Amino acid sequence: MSALSRYPPMIKRIGLMCFIIFACLPLAQMTMISFIATLPTAENAVGTATFGNYLGIWTDPHLRAAFGNSIAYVLINICITVPIAVPAAYAFSRMSFLGDKHLFLAFIAFRITPPVVLTLPIFQLFSNLGIVNSVWGIALAHCLFNLPISIWILQGFISAIPKEMDEAAFLDGYSRPRFIWTFLLPQISSGIAVTAFFCFMFSWVEVVFARILTTTNGKPISMAINALFGFQTDIGLVMAVTFASMMPGAVFLFAMRNHLSRGFRIGRI
Amino acid sequence: MKYHDNTGWLYVLPAILVLGLVGLFPLITVINYSFFEIFILDARFWVGTEWYAQIIGSNRFWASFGRSTLFSILVLIIQIPLGIVIALCIPRGKVWAGLTLAVIALPLLVPWNMIPSLWLSLLNPETGILGRMMPHIGWPTDWKLSATHTWMVLIAMDVWHWTSLVVILCYGALTTIPAAHYQAAAIDGAGPWRVFRFIQFPKLQHVLLMAVLLRFMDSFMIYTEAFPINAGGPNGATMFLAVDLGEDIKAFNYGPSAARSVLYFLIVLTVAWAFTKTQAKLDREHAQ
Repeated sequence: MSALSRYPPMIKRIGLMCFIIFACLPLAQMTMISFIATLPTAENAVGTATFGNYLGIWTDPHLRAAFGNSIAYVLINICITVPIAVPAAYAFSRMSFLGDKHLFLAFIAFRITPPVVLTLPIFQLFSNLGIVNSVWGIALAHCLFNLPISIWILQGFISAIPKEMDEAAFLDGYSRPRFIWTFLLPQISSGIAVTAFFCFMFSWVEVVFARILTTTNGKPISMAINALFGFQTDIGLVMAVTFASMMPGAVFLFAMRNHLSRGFRIGRI
Repeated sequence: MKYHDNTGWLYVLPAILVLGLVGLFPLITVINYSFFEIFILDARFWVGTEWYAQIIGSNRFWASFGRSTLFSILVLIIQIPLGIVIALCIPRGKVWAGLTLAVIALPLLVPWNMIPSLWLSLLNPETGILGRMMPHIGWPTDWKLSATHTWMVLIAMDVWHWTSLVVILCYGALTTIPAAHYQAAAIDGAGPWRVFRFIQFPKLQHVLLMAVLLRFMDSFMIYTEAFPINAGGPNGATMFLAVDLGEDIKAFNYGPSAARSVLYFLIVLTVAWAFTKTQAKLDREHAQ
């Protein structure tokens, strides 16, 4: 027994290290190439180490605009999703109402519907509404998967709060909406941050909706990277843009690291 | 106990409206299109269920269906156990646990259209870190000609991309286990396997069900990541369901692509239904 209890932690550490190396390997490759000149220029021969790729992002107005677009649509998406998801999560957590199970099934179904199934009608609908080629279209389309997942995460945080708190507030004469606003929101603030992170994560990297909804204008980073591929692709620049595109997420991720898994404690609605 | 209160509908109404606009309404449009032959959207002819008959009757559909199913199964067999094991390996201390989770989650931040590019450059025989090592262990430089090798790359790529989501989910559930349970197990002299089987696994069930749902559906309908690796090749050995649909949409075949979309949505609905049934069953078991 003593031998057993001594060895598992070592095996665990080695296993974890192997997995982390595996997770970082493609990212290491990306980082490496992003610092190498891959197309011959006046200053650099192919293969020399350079910061030129990162300077290239800064000097290219399309790429700068793409970063702006990505940040804009993700923020709009979070601003739509979170305020709508909080009351819905509260209802699923605290009340049982006619058809709640069926509604839950519908939400789950929309979360797992692949975007490619709905691309055509969403493009037509959004053309008629006049929100294609802008950040608004993508922000709205991404609600399809972000809204159900947000409700799920927030519901986990709300269910962790004892029901006695609701009851005490009602006895003091608070209405439900006022209770949510004054008492519940401060309690679930870390939950809201986690929700915002997952909305950010799923929305930032999505490409199917982003591609059909931005043919001429409003291109996000992923589409700007696509536009870099051509007859002579500057793969160093591509990797530098990808690296840069991960930075906002990495900062967000690092800030949220201790709360990340808290939304999934119970894992059910 | 939950209150029975139908005003709950008021609280979910905004969510229903938004999902109605971006989900239900487009879905109804697709169902409508699937019964027509459409040249341009103003000129269309009723063809009934002809497109459905064509798709269901084609070998191509069933071949893609089989490939997608196999891909999903392989992905689940690797990702779910690996996710659990890694979640169990994450250190207990708060500082290290947070850092480890953050590093593990990094692959989730890569734009999806760049994931195949990253793997292709990783496997590049001249400049790739793995590509330069692999020939020494018998990996052919022309791996794109081999279906088995292409499949291995696709699965490695998906495992790399998504296992961290399973890890985050499982770790979240594991943190809810009170330390007293572990102490009780230690007093009883329970080994690691029994601790897992009787203390950790029951806590993981709900989260695992969700992980299986998300991972099954997303891998079953893999689209953006799969195609650029080998363009569905060699000889269509990696043509998956969503790739077929993407081809139809790109060719502006409104009717057939709509029928295909409806068929895929029926699969989605079946899976979601099975998920809620399983979840209800788990609830009953926990209640007993």
